[in-house]
Amino acid sequence: MTYRPTRLEVNGRSVELPGLPDDERLLDTLRWRLGMKGTKEGCRTGACGACTVLVGGESTLSCLTLTKELDGRAVTTIEVGPEDAVVSRVRSAFSAAGALQCGYCTPGFVMSLAGRLRERGAAASREELLEALGGNLCRCTGYASILRALDQLHRGAP
Amino acid sequence: MVPFELVVPRTVEEAMAALRTTGSGSASVLAGGTDLLNDLDDQRLSPTRVVSLRRLPWRTLDWTGPQLTVGSTLPLRALEQDPEVARRFPGLVQAVRAVGSVALRHQATLGGNVVRSAPASDLVPVLLSLDAEVDLVGPKGDRRVPVDRFVRSSRRVDLAPGELVRSVRLPEARPSSYLWQRVRPANDISQVAVALAFSPAGRTWRVAVGGVSPRPVLLAEPARLLGSGAPDPAAVREAARRAGEEAPFKTDRRASEEYRRRVVRALLARAVASVVDAPEFPR
Repeated sequence: MTYRPTRLEVNGRSVELPGLPDDERLLDTLRWRLGMKGTKEGCRTGACGACTVLVGGESTLSCLTLTKELDGRAVTTIEVGPEDAVVSRVRSAFSAAGALQCGYCTPGFVMSLAGRLRERGAAASREELLEALGGNLCRCTGYASILRALDQLHRGAP
Repeated sequence: MVPFELVVPRTVEEAMAALRTTGSGSASVLAGGTDLLNDLDDQRLSPTRVVSLRRLPWRTLDWTGPQLTVGSTLPLRALEQDPEVARRFPGLVQAVRAVGSVALRHQATLGGNVVRSAPASDLVPVLLSLDAEVDLVGPKGDRRVPVDRFVRSSRRVDLAPGELVRSVRLPEARPSSYLWQRVRPANDISQVAVALAFSPAGRTWRVAVGGVSPRPVLLAEPARLLGSGAPDPAAVREAARRAGEEAPFKTDRRASEEYRRRVVRALLARAVASVVDAPEFPR
């Protein structure tokens, strides 16, 4: 079999990963191989949501994903530029609502909401947006301001 | 984590071969990975090879009349978002939505949940109540096993070396309900759960409970007490009381046995009301 490095599209940019170990998680590829520290490691067991990114537009736990399995797929992280209108909108809502305390969980919250909004657009109900955040924990318990950001997004502020 | 070789076959034959040729090593099967990867991290499992089912053509949802066949690697999220599944198997969709979070369900699969067979699985009870069967492929041919026999104990299933679960078959659309009790509503593990279904063909009820040890079980007597149609309030009370007595609850770090026995009564009574009130319930 001929060797071909794993390829990902990360935030619209094509990335080749030569020498990628078979057991490497997407979380570690992003943080340590690509130096993109925006995606956070929390529990590393799928319980906290801090490592949430989008794979093919769907919210995904990067701590429970082997990078090699994603060959050819598109990954979106909190670092994506303003060309991603949905992620930008969620980031702005969090900023306007002051929806963070220490900020460690924030990228996961933003990506979970962005995934749901990308899928459902303006049709997303408040309950659907809340459900999308069901897997995200904020250890500062700063949920009130996060819900203000959610409500602003739900009302469809431009 | 001990290093392993990842193999991502595209056909069933390739998958079989990958599981066979391990010599002195061992192989683990990876579906969604949301459970397996934790075991690899903790070295509860240390395979030399991991065979991913991701690229097999098993992410399917097939109807044959009232019968539904769910491909084992279909992400749970696809199952819960199908309106026809929600209409014909409401209990299944309620159980799927009880699993983890939205992001987790983008990855986790029905086949993985059954094969990993956690005692607190939200999906095994509902599969029991629907008389679901698993279709297996393996080196010695295909076979079909009821979920009730496939799941043997905590983390133990009737799967021979080299065998894979190809699909889960639900023989009949059933008015059904899945209700649970847990500390936090989202992304938590159920302390007690009830899966209830009514078979329109057999005019019989099925009652299964979760949060029991070592595996979810069907309860025959409470199901019988519910009769052959919409039960009267006395029958519901009696069935709920019996479920509280009969279910093999134990005390563990999530809840006490006594708490579980009390809660299961309330859950079963509520589940009956929701099934009987559904428009699909046969009059």
